[in-house]
Amino acid sequence: MKFASSAKFAAVAVTAALALTACGGGSTSSGGSAGPVDGKGKKLSVLVNSSAAYPAQQKQWFTDIAAKFKAQTGADVQFETFASANDELTRIQTSVVSGQGPDVYSLGTTFTPTAYATKAFVTLSDDDWKKVGGKDKFNQAALGISGPDAQHQAGIPFVSRPFVMAYNKDILKAAGIDKPATSWDELATQAKKMTDPSTGTFGLATGYKDSFDPWKFIWAMSVQAGNPLVDGKTLKLDDPAVKKAYETYFGWLTKDKVVDPASIGWSNSNAVAAFASGKAGYLMMTTSSSLPTLDKSAVAGKYAYTAMPTTAPGQSSPQGDAANAASILSGDNVVVADYSKQKDLAFAYVNLITSKDEQLNYQKIFGDLPANAEALKALNNPVLQPVADTAAKSKATPFTGAWGDIQLALLNVVVQSIPDLSKGSVDDSSLQARLKDAQSKGQASLDRASK
Amino acid sequence: MSTDSLTAGKSTRRKSSRAAKPDPQSPDNAPRRRKGLSERNRPLWMLIPGGLLMVIIIVVPLLLGIFMSGLDLDQYSLRQWVSAPFIGVQNFVEALTASPLLHAIWLSVSYSLLAMVVTIPLGIAGAVATQNAFKGRAVIRSIFLVPYVLPSFVVATVWRTMFQPGSVIDSALHSVGIDPGLWLNGPQSYWTLILVQIWASWPFVYLLALSGLQSVDHEVHEASALDGALWWNKLRYVVFPYLKGPLSLAFLIGMLHHINNFTLPFVLFGVPAPSDVELLPILTYVTSFQSFRFGLSAAMAFISLILIAIPLFVYLRAVKLDDAETPGGKK
Repeated sequence: MKFASSAKFAAVAVTAALALTACGGGSTSSGGSAGPVDGKGKKLSVLVNSSAAYPAQQKQWFTDIAAKFKAQTGADVQFETFASANDELTRIQTSVVSGQGPDVYSLGTTFTPTAYATKAFVTLSDDDWKKVGGKDKFNQAALGISGPDAQHQAGIPFVSRPFVMAYNKDILKAAGIDKPATSWDELATQAKKMTDPSTGTFGLATGYKDSFDPWKFIWAMSVQAGNPLVDGKTLKLDDPAVKKAYETYFGWLTKDKVVDPASIGWSNSNAVAAFASGKAGYLMMTTSSSLPTLDKSAVAGKYAYTAMPTTAPGQSSPQGDAANAASILSGDNVVVADYSKQKDLAFAYVNLITSKDEQLNYQKIFGDLPANAEALKALNNPVLQPVADTAAKSKATPFTGAWGDIQLALLNVVVQSIPDLSKGSVDDSSLQARLKDAQSKGQASLDRASK
Repeated sequence: MSTDSLTAGKSTRRKSSRAAKPDPQSPDNAPRRRKGLSERNRPLWMLIPGGLLMVIIIVVPLLLGIFMSGLDLDQYSLRQWVSAPFIGVQNFVEALTASPLLHAIWLSVSYSLLAMVVTIPLGIAGAVATQNAFKGRAVIRSIFLVPYVLPSFVVATVWRTMFQPGSVIDSALHSVGIDPGLWLNGPQSYWTLILVQIWASWPFVYLLALSGLQSVDHEVHEASALDGALWWNKLRYVVFPYLKGPLSLAFLIGMLHHINNFTLPFVLFGVPAPSDVELLPILTYVTSFQSFRFGLSAAMAFISLILIAIPLFVYLRAVKLDDAETPGGKK
């Protein structure tokens, strides 16, 4: 009796296994041609960053995309989310070491070089690019941080999130300013006109305690002054342009007094809140993802986006390539894991989410700009036009595995200067010492990268 | 005195029970029975499942960590991490000479010590105050435990919000004419950390002190009252000796916890941390997960392991936990 039942069970198991194998065999033979990938019975695992601002909408998006993917390929998609870059890094580490995990990852652009350095992701061949719809379908500027050069690209652009500034039209008008500033010097002058501490109104809103914003300012001003920070194997943080950038950035608080003194404790979201309450002329270093928030705030209809200044501090017009460095090349890339056993399915998924319609849909829900060129052109929201223009004028941060460290070093200069900022001045010698420290740490990391 | 006799009593009891059991199984080594059997016949094999788990969860990662500390392991070599170049003690040399590790150790140890020095009297005071029954004692006792029950993340987030420039604490101090300066950066941040740590961890000392107070025999109180001891003398010579054990345990666990505390400084100050609060766990974390120097950070972690093993060892020697277990048998 006992034997019989277990024998029966074994027979069922064997039959099931045979059936499954047959299925698997069938799918590979039919999916080999250029037609749609057949992923019946398969499951694709995708890791994306969780949307803190739109959690419910994100869940809905997951369901919709999974349904569409199932209709196209017959395969299921399982979404996993991570809350921070560090969470994601831990996932990547475990997956890289163990050789299993999600098939597709979504990565922030500045994190792409670090991920690329692990060599754990597929560097796309021409054939692979065809599977995601061809390289031409993407906004070409967005490919700038997909790999070290055009032949070695692992990151497939998914969305663009260029950094711009928002301005309060009423406050600018009241101060007699007819056009937003295009140079950093002009910005400070305009901000002074708008600042009125008695009403709590300040020319600029920005967060000095943000974990990312500070280095983006320093990067932008330095690049516009002709110093791209990394020159081959040399780091150039001890350059006068970098020091000038820090002085300008700190100067808003210490000399020009055009930012709220409390902003030494602010992150970007505090700055958005200050601008949204109508207490600031300019909101610096923001993206189109602030749009849904601002449209529900006191400044709804009274604000506009525009590119940040491209003329370096102390100069009167953009020098060299400065006009094309309005923002860091920012957004999300997707990468396919090298260990994945269903790469074709993964590429089919990427093809789906980077298609024109899906990209436009994503923009509507989350505010991020399409990386798909046609979709970007099809945008017809006039508020977003300046942001879309900036997407084409964005410059990639240096593509090196050391960038994470360099970014940290740049940020650290600001963190360590905050006590001085709160006292009202950052003296030259301590700034110099901090820059020297940043230079040596960053250079050491760059040396490791080029080893 | 009383504890000694108690342990002695226990040990004789244990010895006799052990001697009674094992006879039937080992008639052949009868001559050595009294000495050897108690060890031989302990069913040590029953420890295998637990022991195996300990090996997998503790020993293997520990050995891996030590192995990693000898590798030049970073994001470039992570993928084939086993074959990352072996560089011997170079990571340790770099950690000790070219990184802020020593500064971080100094900060971690000094802050933990300061926090402990304040929390111990606070904890004792809290325990003594709620020792005798009064109306509402249960409520007070529960309130005392609130900081201990709250997750560290919540504690740190709330304090960070209150310490923001221009936030509640600043405006409260401004209203009485004090300009407090920066709480979350600069030299004062060190004291902010200690303050929050004290707030969050004193109930732990309080709990252990309370348990010590409960163990004071009623007769002792009576006897001291008969002898005419006043409250201070009673506290100093009668009650405190009872607290010595629980409090030294509280001190040890508290120190280890503070030195290893990552959440509190991470949430309060963020990374990169201001140099005044760049504590050991933060430094290890940044080295690992922001700079991706896994080998170097494994070396740092190993150094901090040695660091916390020292007080642990001293404590174990001092209280002789191991001896209390085996007074009758052998080690």
